Amino acid sequence: MSTTTAAAAAKMTSTTAVAISLVLSSCVVANAFRQKKQFYPSVVYICKSNPSMAIMYMQALVAVYLIGKLTGKLFFGSLRPAESERLIEKAWYAVTETCLAFTIFKDDLSPKFVALFTLLLFLKCFHWLAEDRVDYMERTPVISYIFHLRIWLLLVILTLGDVYFVHDAYTTTMAKGPSVQLVFGFEYALLITLAANAAFKYVLHAVDVHSDTFWESKAVLLLYLEFFIGLCKAVMYVVFLIIMVRTYTIPLFAFRPMYHTLRNFKKVFQDLVLSRRAIHNMNTLYPDATLQDLQAIENVCIICREDMTAAAAKKLPCNHIFHTSCLRSWFQRHQTCPTCRLDILRPTPLTTQNSNVPRPITPTPGRTAQETPSTEAAASSSATDNSRGPSTSNPTHVSSNQAGSSGSSYYNQTPLQYQFRPYTFQQRSTSVDEINGNNSENSNNGIPESNNMNESWIAFMNAAGIGGGIGPSSLFNDMPQTSTNLPSTNIPQIPLNLPFVGGIAIQPPNIPPNLDTLSDEELRLMEQNTRQGCLARIKYITDIKCMLDAAVVMMNQYSSACLMAGLDSTDSTFNSETKTSDTTENDEQLETRPPSNISSETDSSTGSGVTSSSSGSEDQLIQEETEQQRIIRLKRLEKFGSNST
Amino acid sequence: MAGSALRRLMAEYKQLTLNPPEGIIAGPTTEENYFEWEALITGPEGTCFEGGVFPAKLIFPSDYPLSPPKMSFTCDMFHPNIYSDGRVCISILHAPGDDPMGYESSNERWSPVQSVEKILLSVISMLAEPNDESGANVDAAKMWREDREGFNKVAETLVRKTLGIPTSK
Repeated sequence: MSTTTAAAAAKMTSTTAVAISLVLSSCVVANAFRQKKQFYPSVVYICKSNPSMAIMYMQALVAVYLIGKLTGKLFFGSLRPAESERLIEKAWYAVTETCLAFTIFKDDLSPKFVALFTLLLFLKCFHWLAEDRVDYMERTPVISYIFHLRIWLLLVILTLGDVYFVHDAYTTTMAKGPSVQLVFGFEYALLITLAANAAFKYVLHAVDVHSDTFWESKAVLLLYLEFFIGLCKAVMYVVFLIIMVRTYTIPLFAFRPMYHTLRNFKKVFQDLVLSRRAIHNMNTLYPDATLQDLQAIENVCIICREDMTAAAAKKLPCNHIFHTSCLRSWFQRHQTCPTCRLDILRPTPLTTQNSNVPRPITPTPGRTAQETPSTEAAASSSATDNSRGPSTSNPTHVSSNQAGSSGSSYYNQTPLQYQFRPYTFQQRSTSVDEINGNNSENSNNGIPESNNMNESWIAFMNAAGIGGGIGPSSLFNDMPQTSTNLPSTNIPQIPLNLPFVGGIAIQPPNIPPNLDTLSDEELRLMEQNTRQGCLARIKYITDIKCMLDAAVVMMNQYSSACLMAGLDSTDSTFNSETKTSDTTENDEQLETRPPSNISSETDSSTGSGVTSSSSGSEDQLIQEETEQQRIIRLKRLEKFGSNST
Repeated sequence: MAGSALRRLMAEYKQLTLNPPEGIIAGPTTEENYFEWEALITGPEGTCFEGGVFPAKLIFPSDYPLSPPKMSFTCDMFHPNIYSDGRVCISILHAPGDDPMGYESSNERWSPVQSVEKILLSVISMLAEPNDESGANVDAAKMWREDREGFNKVAETLVRKTLGIPTSK
C-alpha cells in the first residue's frame, strides 16, 4: 500500500513539475511574441535573455523526460517496480559519473555537450531496461508476441544507434584529434556490448522457451556468454584508461564501473574454471545413480524438485543424488555438495565397484573386522546387507558387520592354508565407509569375497617378495593347470613357512594399504595433527617396517635354502611342503613328488617355486610334514645358522 | 520450456498450498510473476511477537534456487535481525561467499536444497530467538539485551499494529 501511495505521490509531483514547466515556457514564449510580434525576433529575444533560456532548458529536459516516458511505454509497457527501482539506482550512478566527466571536459562545456550526455544517459536507460526485460523472460510463464516484437525492435534500434554514435565519434576523433567524443565513443562501444549481451540472452531464452524439453547446456552457454562479454568490457576499459591517461588525465568517472567490470570478470573467470573442473569431476568420477538409489530418496531432485531418472542423475562422493543438469548449474556458482557442502574440487579418487586393487586400509584404529568363513556366506551377506555402496566393495567392510566369525577361518578358506591362528586381520574402516555403506547396494557389486581376499593376499605376497610375478589366477585359481604343465621333476618346493622361522611363529605383516585409493576424507584424517591422525600415520610406518622385516626374513630363508641345496644336493626334504598343518591326506603326493636337483632349486627360488608349491596346495591343499623331515629340516637350518654366523 | 527457476517456484507454491506449514501463508503476488511472493507470518507462540500477523515480501532472483531470494517485512518491525527498512538478515538468505556481518559459518548459508518454507520457518525461529550479535538493527539488539521489558512492549505495539488493534495505554 505504501509503495502504491508513494508511486502515486511521485506521479503527482512529476505531473505538477511537467505542468509548471509547460506553463513557464509558454509564458516565456508568449512574452517574447508579445514584445517582438514576429517569429524570428522573438526567437532571438529568447536566446539573448538568460532567464528565458534557463526556462527553455528546463522545458527541454522535461521534453526529454516525456519522450522517454512515451518510448518506454511503447517498448516496455508499464515498468515493474523492481525495474524502475533498478533503473533509478543506475541512473543516479550514471548522473554522478557524468558530472565527474564534466570536470575533465570543462572547457568543452556547452549546451550541445550537455545534450549529448543527456542523450547518452537516455540510451543507457533503454539498454538497462532491455536487459531487465530479457532477464524477465525467464521469470514469467506467459510471453506474448508483442513482447518478442518489442524486444526485437528495441534491440535493433539500440544497436543501430550505438553503432552510429561509435562511428561518429571515431570519425570526429580522427578528423579533429581527441576530444570529448573519445568518451562518447567509448561509452557507446560499451553499450554495444550491453545490447549484444541482451540479444544473445534473448536468443537463448527464446530457444529455451520454445523447446519442449529442458535445455541442459543453456546455463553453460550463458556462463560463456557472460565470460566473453566481460572480457570485451574489461579490455575496453583498460584501453580507454590508457588512452585517457595519455591524452587527458585519469578518468575518475570511469573507475567505479571499471572496478565493477573487472571484479565481475574475475568472478566469471573463476566460476568458469572451477565449474569446468567440478563438472569434469562429475562426469568422469561420479557414478550415475542407480534405480535403487533413486528409490531410496523418493526419486526427487532436491534442487529442482522434479523427478529423476537414472540416466540423468549423478551421485556425489557423499552419496547425495541430484540431476546432472542441476548439479552443473550449481557448480557454476559453488563447487560443493548442495546438501552437505562437501568440497567437490578436492580430488577424490573414487574407486568404483569393479576395481581390482586391494582396498585401502583406512586410518581408524580400534576396529577389528573379522572375515566371514566362506565365500557363500560373504556373498549372501553382501546380498542381504544393504550397507554396501559402490565405493565400499571392501571385503573386510562387509565382514565387519558379521560378528562372531573367527579370524583364523579367514585363512582356512584360502588355499594356502597358513596357520596364523593368533592373527586376526586388522581392518580399520573410517566413518566415511560407514556413511557410504548406508546407501543401497550397488548391483554391480557382486565380487566374491574370496577373490578380494586372494587379491589382498597377492598384494601381501608380492610386497613381501614371495609371489613375484605371479598373478592371482596362477597363484590361486588356475593352479592345477600351471603345475601339471610343468615337469614336476624340475619343480622344487620352496619352503613357504614364512611364519615359522626356526620354529618360531611370527605374525605376518599387515596387508599393505594402497595409498592411491585413499579417499579425500581419509587423507584429511591422516593429515590431521590429532591423536587419531598421528596414530594412523604411525600405524602405516609400523606396517612398512613389518613388511621390510618380513622381506628380510624371506631373503634369509631363500639364501639358506640355496646354501643348503649346495650343501646337500640329494636332499629332498624341501619338496615336502613346509607347513605344519592339521589337515592330512597328503602323503601320497609327497611320495609321487620326485626329488629335486640343485639347479632347479636354485633357479626357481624366485618365482616358479611359489607357483609349484601353491599349485601343490591346490592339488592337495595341505601337505603334511612328517616328524622326521621336520627334524632334518630344523637341523639344516641350525647348521646354516651356525655357518653363516 | 519454462525456466528451471520458474518450475521450481511453481512446485514450491504447489507444495505450500497443499501442505501449508503452521503459521505460514505464502504465494506469488500475481500469477504472472512468480518471482515476487507475499508471505504472512504469525508470531511464534510464547514470545513477545505472539499473535501478530506480519506481512513480508520475497523477491526471487532469476537463477533461483542457485541464488537466495531477498526477504523483507512490509510492516514495521523492531527486531535485532531485521533492518529498519524491513529487510531480513539471516544466514539462510545469504549466498555462501558473501558475509555481510562477518560471523556466519558457511554451513548455514543458502544452498539450493533450501526452500521458501525453510526460509519462513527460519524467520519464525528468528522472531522467537533473535541473534543479538548480528546487529542489523543495533537499537533493537541493544534493547533486547539490556531492556527486555521495553523490547516486549515495543513488540506488543507492533503486534497490535499488524492486527489493527489500537495500542493499549
